[in-house]
Amino acid sequence: MLIELDGLFKTYEVGTQKVPALKNITIDVKETEYLAIMGPSGSGKSTLMNIIGCLDIPTEGSYRLKGREVGTLDDDELAEIRSAEIGFVFQTFNLLPRMTAFQNVELPLIYGRASRKGRSDRVWETIDAVGLKERAHHRPSELSGGQRQRVAIARALINRPSIILADEPTGNLDSTTGEEIMQIFRQLNNAGNTIILVTHEQYIAEHARRIVKLLDGEVASDTTA
Amino acid sequence: MEFRETLLTSLRTLSSHKMRSLLTMLGIVIGAGALVAVMSLIAGLNQSVAAQFQSIGTDIISVSRYPWVQMGDSDEFRRRKNITIADAEAVGRLPSVGLMAPNIHTRRNISYGGETVRFTLVTGSTPEYETIDNYLVENGRFITRIDVERHRASAVLGSEIAEELFPVRDPIGRKVKVGGKQFTVIGVMKEKGDILGESLDALVIIPISTFEKAFGSRRSVVIDCSPEEGVSMSRTIEEIRQILRIRRKVPRGDPDNFAINTQSDLLSSYNQITGVLYMAMVGIVGLALLVGGIGVMNVMLVSVAERTREIGVRKAIGARRADVTKQFLVEAIILTGLGGAIGILGGAALALLVRKVTPLPAAVTPTAVAIAAAFALIAGVLFGVYPATRAGRLNPMEALRYE
Ligand SMILES: Nc1ncnc2c1ncn2[C@@H]1O[C@H](COP(=O)(O)OP(=O)(O)OP(=O)(O)O)[C@@H](O)[C@H]1O
Ligand SMILES: [Mg+2]
Repeated sequence: MLIELDGLFKTYEVGTQKVPALKNITIDVKETEYLAIMGPSGSGKSTLMNIIGCLDIPTEGSYRLKGREVGTLDDDELAEIRSAEIGFVFQTFNLLPRMTAFQNVELPLIYGRASRKGRSDRVWETIDAVGLKERAHHRPSELSGGQRQRVAIARALINRPSIILADEPTGNLDSTTGEEIMQIFRQLNNAGNTIILVTHEQYIAEHARRIVKLLDGEVASDTTA
Repeated sequence: MEFRETLLTSLRTLSSHKMRSLLTMLGIVIGAGALVAVMSLIAGLNQSVAAQFQSIGTDIISVSRYPWVQMGDSDEFRRRKNITIADAEAVGRLPSVGLMAPNIHTRRNISYGGETVRFTLVTGSTPEYETIDNYLVENGRFITRIDVERHRASAVLGSEIAEELFPVRDPIGRKVKVGGKQFTVIGVMKEKGDILGESLDALVIIPISTFEKAFGSRRSVVIDCSPEEGVSMSRTIEEIRQILRIRRKVPRGDPDNFAINTQSDLLSSYNQITGVLYMAMVGIVGLALLVGGIGVMNVMLVSVAERTREIGVRKAIGARRADVTKQFLVEAIILTGLGGAIGILGGAALALLVRKVTPLPAAVTPTAVAIAAAFALIAGVLFGVYPATRAGRLNPMEALRYE
């Protein structure tokens, strides 16, 4: 099993007030699965993604990734996992503005301590896979939204992660461009990548084989097509 | 993350905020610049003073009533007995003393034709004065034993006096008036230059016997001498001290009532004064760099806050704490290092400019450059560590949510 969430809670403390964002979440995700998480705003989708992506740890309960308990790891061990196992795609792209597309895609390799030899080839290969070879040396500000998201996907793929996490990847794109991005995810899943996707839109969610619906931080339904 | 990448990233960030980076560096630039400029000026001054002291004559021991550098009780100084020619002769007879020249001084007007040089140093001495005090004759001759024995009215002119009184004519053999008395010019000395801003060439030397006859014999004599060959400076000084204490009846245990001056004493008291100045300057400039460093810290903190989201993104794609910390630390060090470099260049340029347009002989020393560079880099590390650590510790999830 790739991901095992068991009785997971996440509670934020704002001042003296406790905000429960996730309550008793129990989900397993197998390798090569394509999972969409849906739910109304504030239902805890991003919180769940962040925990799966090791950006944060649960308040209670257990999260095992490839059999390894994540909740007890320290900062640098979590960074290690993010570097090796996770590829993030964000709604707002989150590319670094002062770097070219090429440099943005290369960055996870540098943080992952990949040797310089062959690094450039790997970047070209990945950029080519998302169809952006011609734009490699442009900065994000010189790219369209769809192109930016392709760069972000290339950046998420470059370290060959076990899971690709995408939090509303089409949220800032028009429907045609969004559809193009979804095609890329489909191909990636067909090639054996595990994908977890957050979305508001039913038609986007239907790309996935399995849909988990959250309501007020709890799993409301978990259906596999 | 490799150092090369860290460096490139830092440079990219800094160059995208050129104006801000420059303003941030300003404190460091000024601090490092001031440090190099002032240290260069002091170093230049020291070098030229050392060179000037060489021109007095090396190995010279000069016994006088008062020390060259006076510090302390002047009442006691005023009660001191004159040193006499007999004292000088006794010193001259010591086996450890080689050459000895008694000399006495006054200030008189010197004139030739309609030309007068007012209030000029007149020195009465003996032939040995030429060698001991390093007064080389360029034209004519120095005073001789016969001049002294026969109380001849002979005068040797310093180069500056000769130029003033005889701009065109050869002065040798001409009659000049020294303090209203007539003297015959027998020689002109080579130019010696300045010492601490005072000319060594504005004087007239006459036989000591003639001096006493013309201007009186109630002055304290200065005894200039050098050690006998093969005898150490300190032994000679000790023997002179003993004989003068006996002749001047200094009770056992009392301090000397005369002063034995040497060039190295003078140099060391000069160095003591500039040393204090030097340290004070280093302190002040250190303070300036401290203020500059605090400026750097302030901007780094702003930069960390501004780039919170970027830090979040970097962490999301695998950056460790150390990667982020290193990046901000390198940025701070580049800021202060670059500021230091600009300051060093500016300070050196300033020092060289001062040398060009003023008589101050500034000399840029490696020490000054090294100290300024070290201060700047240390300021970078010192004031970069806190913002950089803060950046490294940011929680990735919160950093990503930061608007
Ligand atoms: N850092 C935080 N501090 C306090 N409360 C938080 C924090 N992050 C999330 N929350 C709260 O947790 C709940 C879940 O938030 P989350 O961002 O996961 O929702 P979401 O399902 O992603 O919503 P959206 O569709 O609008 O993105 C919300 O009530 C939110 O206010
Ligand atoms: Mg969300």
